[in-house]
Amino acid sequence: MDLYLPIAEVSVNAPLLVALGALVGFISGMFGIGGGFLMTPVLVFLGIPPAVAVASMSNHVAASSMSSVVSYGRKRGVDFRMGGVLAAGGAVGSVLGVEIFRWLRLLGQADLVVALSYLIFLGVIGALMFWESIGAILRRRRNAPAPPRGDRRPPWLYGLPLKMRFPRSRLYISVIPPLALGAFVGVLSAIMGVGGGFVLVPAMVYILRMPASVVVGTSLFQIIITTAITGVLQAGRNQTVDIVLATLLLVGGVLGAQFGARASSRFRAEELRALLALIVLLVGLRMGLGLFFTPHEPFVLMSGTGG
Amino acid sequence: MAAALPPAAAHPPAISAALTETRVRVNSDFRGDQIVLYGAVFDPLSRPNDVVVIVRGPDEPVRIARKSRVAGLWVNSRPVVFQGAPGFYIAASTRPLDDIARFGVLRRLGAGVDHLAINAPAEQRTETRYGVRDVVVSRLGSDYLDWRRAVVRLKEAQRLYAVDEHGVRFVDKGLFRAEIALPAEAPIGKYDVRILLFQNGQPVAEKERILTVEEVGAARALYLWAHQRPWSYGLAAMAFALAAGWAASTVFRRD
Repeated sequence: MDLYLPIAEVSVNAPLLVALGALVGFISGMFGIGGGFLMTPVLVFLGIPPAVAVASMSNHVAASSMSSVVSYGRKRGVDFRMGGVLAAGGAVGSVLGVEIFRWLRLLGQADLVVALSYLIFLGVIGALMFWESIGAILRRRRNAPAPPRGDRRPPWLYGLPLKMRFPRSRLYISVIPPLALGAFVGVLSAIMGVGGGFVLVPAMVYILRMPASVVVGTSLFQIIITTAITGVLQAGRNQTVDIVLATLLLVGGVLGAQFGARASSRFRAEELRALLALIVLLVGLRMGLGLFFTPHEPFVLMSGTGG
Repeated sequence: MAAALPPAAAHPPAISAALTETRVRVNSDFRGDQIVLYGAVFDPLSRPNDVVVIVRGPDEPVRIARKSRVAGLWVNSRPVVFQGAPGFYIAASTRPLDDIARFGVLRRLGAGVDHLAINAPAEQRTETRYGVRDVVVSRLGSDYLDWRRAVVRLKEAQRLYAVDEHGVRFVDKGLFRAEIALPAEAPIGKYDVRILLFQNGQPVAEKERILTVEEVGAARALYLWAHQRPWSYGLAAMAFALAAGWAASTVFRRD
């Protein structure tokens, strides 16, 4: 059954998109991530104009994060104060990101920056995660004790001014690092069409040293706010949000996420992390390595007249 | 009636044509359409006829970039804007266009993708060369044709430009039929359909018809909303997405 997307102005196979949403939702429920980094490349591959794919993903990511943040909230797994500070940074970042994306489209360099961002961020994060999780798996095999976790927080985190108490995260730190982190993720979310959980979660664990119990919930909370702002801005400034596309993906995504969350309990945490790291690494390489190969067609049409 | 053959000037050949469908409605299950055109040639002298049907969609400037290697990476050049390019273009004819008329005639009529009047005015400047003033020089230089051909090639790959050398068929004496394939990606707007009759390599009669491609129903409403009131559309779309996410979490509540 084909469905015509009013904003993308292409027709797509509706069951295929729902199935894609379900698959990405499954992965996202399994690993507790948004899954935008997987979905956006596939949409572009299916022939959706990249600008529409990136913008519509904001709506999709906001909706799927909303569906999981409610249950984290009930389990007291959301630090709303930290989430609010991150989101304040995220708001600035997404305004900046939407404008940067607009400017890059005018220059014709949006594709390059998107591909490079995927290669660099997914490549680095995937490689680090893979290394860390393989280490953990090997230690478990050898029954070796986990290395003492460096619980010493980086001193610069305490040297900065504007300190604030975050009771639920048991932190008393400056608001500057979370603001900067939020802004950075906001820019990424606008440019890459992702929620940014894959940057946010490791940064909250390793830089801010938040307790693991609130990391995923808080990251989802921040992602909702950032992607909500990005989505409205993309629609207002670039007219590229296709609500029909976002809804199709959402239908599958919500169902898939539920099964994913159930399936995740059957695996060990480090095995899940290793698997996720591999997926992240593959997507990053797939998106980025195209830049190094000689293209079949040296010319490309750019969407939009950019006038 | 007239026993003797009338002089050609008194009875010029004429052409008549009609689209079986003048409005294409793009709704949520639009997957492209086939437009059928019927027409007749009236020529008391029964000279050999050639018919060319040109369908031209609304103009859409084309932005195109060329990839080049910079430090090992394939990077887009600065995009070049080509003006005067139609968003959709098909030239269907009874024979290959080059057999029907000469280069100059086709160029003047803009018949065939090679003869579309598209150019990149922003890349042009006028200067004095060899003492001649106002010589138009393109910054694209000798590559200009490569760029132009790439526009056509990429549009052909999207099925938005096409040349159908046998797209017009005579089904009976003087009666012809043409079929135009409209892909789902065809732009919205008014299409100009020109039906040209050629004899001896010259256009001798012409008819124009209008084909309207319009979005209808929900697709139309959403498109208009998103483009005319983008902020309210953006807010509503996001509110809908958040509500859907929240609703899903209550449905699948597990505790």
